[in-house]
Amino acid sequence: MNSPRKIVITGLGVVCGAGLKIDAIWDAIVNGKSAIKEISSWDASRWPVRVAAEVTGVDNRTLVEDRKLHKMISRTDLFGIYAAEEAMKQSGLLAHRDTLDAAAATHFNDRSGIFAGSGGGNYGCYYEIFPAMAPAGGDLKKFGAQFSESITPRWLLRNLPNNVLCHLGIRHNFKGANACITNQGVGGALAVAEASAAIRAGEAARAVAVGHDVPFEPETLFNYQRLGLLSPETLRPFDRDRNGTVFGEGAASVTLETETDAQARGAKSFGEFLGSGCATEATGILDIRADGDGVSRAIEIALADAKISREEVGMIVAHGNGASASDASEAMGIRRVFGEKIPPVTSFKWAYGNLVAASGILDLVFALTALRQKTVPGIATLNFLDPELAPFPVSQNVQQPRGDIALVLCRGFGGMNVALLVRANP
Amino acid sequence: MTPRRRIAITGIGMVTPVGNDARTTWANLQAGRSGLATIRNFDASGFPVRIAAEVKNFDAAAAVGNPELLKFATRSHGFAFAAAEEALADAGIRPTISNGERWGFCVGAGMMGVDYRELEIVQKFCAPDGEFQPNGFLAENFPVDSVAFCRSQTNAGLALLTQHFGIRGYATAVHTACASGGQALGTALKVLRRGQADFMLAGGFDSMINPVGLSAFCLLGALSADNDTPERASRPFDLTRNGFVLGEGAGFLVLENWDSARKRGAKIYAELAGDGNSLSCYRITDSPPDGDGPIQAMQQAIADAGISADEIGYVNAHGTSTLMNDKSECAALRAVMGNHIGSVAVSSTKSCMGHLIAAAGAVEAGICALAIRDGIAPVNANLSQPDPECNVNIVRGKSQPMRIRAALSNSLGFGGSNSSLVFRNPEEVE
Repeated sequence: MNSPRKIVITGLGVVCGAGLKIDAIWDAIVNGKSAIKEISSWDASRWPVRVAAEVTGVDNRTLVEDRKLHKMISRTDLFGIYAAEEAMKQSGLLAHRDTLDAAAATHFNDRSGIFAGSGGGNYGCYYEIFPAMAPAGGDLKKFGAQFSESITPRWLLRNLPNNVLCHLGIRHNFKGANACITNQGVGGALAVAEASAAIRAGEAARAVAVGHDVPFEPETLFNYQRLGLLSPETLRPFDRDRNGTVFGEGAASVTLETETDAQARGAKSFGEFLGSGCATEATGILDIRADGDGVSRAIEIALADAKISREEVGMIVAHGNGASASDASEAMGIRRVFGEKIPPVTSFKWAYGNLVAASGILDLVFALTALRQKTVPGIATLNFLDPELAPFPVSQNVQQPRGDIALVLCRGFGGMNVALLVRANP
Repeated sequence: MTPRRRIAITGIGMVTPVGNDARTTWANLQAGRSGLATIRNFDASGFPVRIAAEVKNFDAAAAVGNPELLKFATRSHGFAFAAAEEALADAGIRPTISNGERWGFCVGAGMMGVDYRELEIVQKFCAPDGEFQPNGFLAENFPVDSVAFCRSQTNAGLALLTQHFGIRGYATAVHTACASGGQALGTALKVLRRGQADFMLAGGFDSMINPVGLSAFCLLGALSADNDTPERASRPFDLTRNGFVLGEGAGFLVLENWDSARKRGAKIYAELAGDGNSLSCYRITDSPPDGDGPIQAMQQAIADAGISADEIGYVNAHGTSTLMNDKSECAALRAVMGNHIGSVAVSSTKSCMGHLIAAAGAVEAGICALAIRDGIAPVNANLSQPDPECNVNIVRGKSQPMRIRAALSNSLGFGGSNSSLVFRNPEEVE
């Protein structure tokens, strides 16, 4: 066997606070418009932190037409199913299956995978238990005798972390290799990595990878704020005055298949998925190393996986979550790999917030757009580059990528780091 | 192309309802002793189901060691620490400062867990009448508990264990309900094969035996309510079966490259030879009656192992003891094994230790490795009236000595995620 199979991206789907259309979100990014605003899903007017990039003004039926399903799943699942189905539609995979005879369609289904990066749920599901807890008043015997009067029988099913995987399967019959990755911030990025690895190893012929999350509700927002992780105003990656991250919500998805398959059915390719790397710093749930050790190792592993040199990287989409220690160590990790020759760096979370498990794929989608537009968008909220990080090639203004490959970085709790490499198709 | 890396199982660790280590667990499963009893960890006397398979006399402080870490650990994290430590000690190798980057970690973990007593605090402030009012958090005397918050994060177990053991390579957590543990081992296998780690600590941990977990499964009508005869409540493949019994625990394996394991003189229990992974695409809680879905998972695992179905001598079934699962799984087994079905010994060890949910696949993988080593197919307890619709060769009455060339373990989850793993006897490999 000569070169490993080339894996291409043939469909994209997104939903986030900045919208549902990739072109419109891209325009907002290059025009410096952020979707971060006052929280509207509850009355947060008295809260010390009351901003986020929520998905507003979108009817649930726009996301998933089937109203019966709305009762069976939660908000994060609606986002995940929507984004994945957009990507699947755009890829033309379902239309292609319709052209196959029954036996070929069965084979197609058995060879089609789904890889989900799921936020894994939040405290919201427990709010639904309170109506049963209140009358019990701490008496478990009473709770045990009465809970069925006030909790829906569907409670567990509605809150399964793997709902997007299951319902996409049921809706579209993709029966092949699958995973539901619940690794907090890096779940979505790992979903792409594992989907592509499965195709490379021949375990699936094609796959849809999706990351989805509603990473906050009141209790999570409250705890993040008390831990000092949130900015009360906006997200300023790599800025001297950065003061925390800002939540977003939504989902993003890509479809992946071999270049040979895509060409054979005449599908358009948005880019090539080159490789991935994953490393933990083993620092526990919240801490990270100051030297960027995990960041640099994830990048090195991804470069080796993609069989490319660091000089070929044309731009970097940083995790850039706006937290002081995270941004500083990320810049350090990037410098450890690229030395003084760091390609242009940007970060998108200032525009659509930190979607946690969905971030990695959403950033990947816009990294591809940036490569195709040959534009590294500026970071609109960046006023003064942190002098401790200088020189570091981030800017409020547009930069030019120095090649056709983008590195996307993604980090999460547990000292997790994932690096993804993609090449745009001309 | 370079030949595919062969992966060896060199360490096993378990904390289960029938034993707080692998040796005790395995001995009790062979003897068909039940770990099912009336729930003792909380007052379940008012619940419609009052039985479970609890881990007993477990000393979390001793398992975790470090009191600082213990604060961040839930009940199931404690099980994970103990099982992981046992697996590493058993393998006789552990991550060091110099090779920690080449160690990976992959775990099947349960749903985000919040202790009932912690929920009560939030409920008192934010939902005194039952209806949730977010501004309750703003009360001046709200007792902020950042440690509890950290404990409840979806990858908290991963964070704690990688930190404790110094694992710095690939790390991930997966959740496909009851298939999680199997999928975690399958993912670990693939990471090793593609060379992104040289060693993996992989497994699963879970505990849903708490007021919320128990309520959730009661609401679905999935549990056996044989409250007066707990030790007989889990009876996979029996005509009178009436639901599964919640278990808890953890299982971990140490996986590494076969050749380097041999070179360092490690004992090898079995080869983790094949992984198969499919979606049933049928219904969220129901199993496809014809076994479609599990069939593909088993076929893939067997093909991935490079063997044929007739080399499988023992199947550790998912066998939950629900009406639907057991029937569907047997239909799938018959389809996969064909004429060979009569000579495959099948048992569900859930008959003794209940359903460990996200940990089930990991513990049962360890059981398969031990079954191969000792040449024993463990008994499927509580089978007195075999369901004619579950017409496979079930290990009945007592455990059955037999040389096992290869074993297969199924984990079939809610939502239709199916995981099958194939293990090969080292004598068949070399």
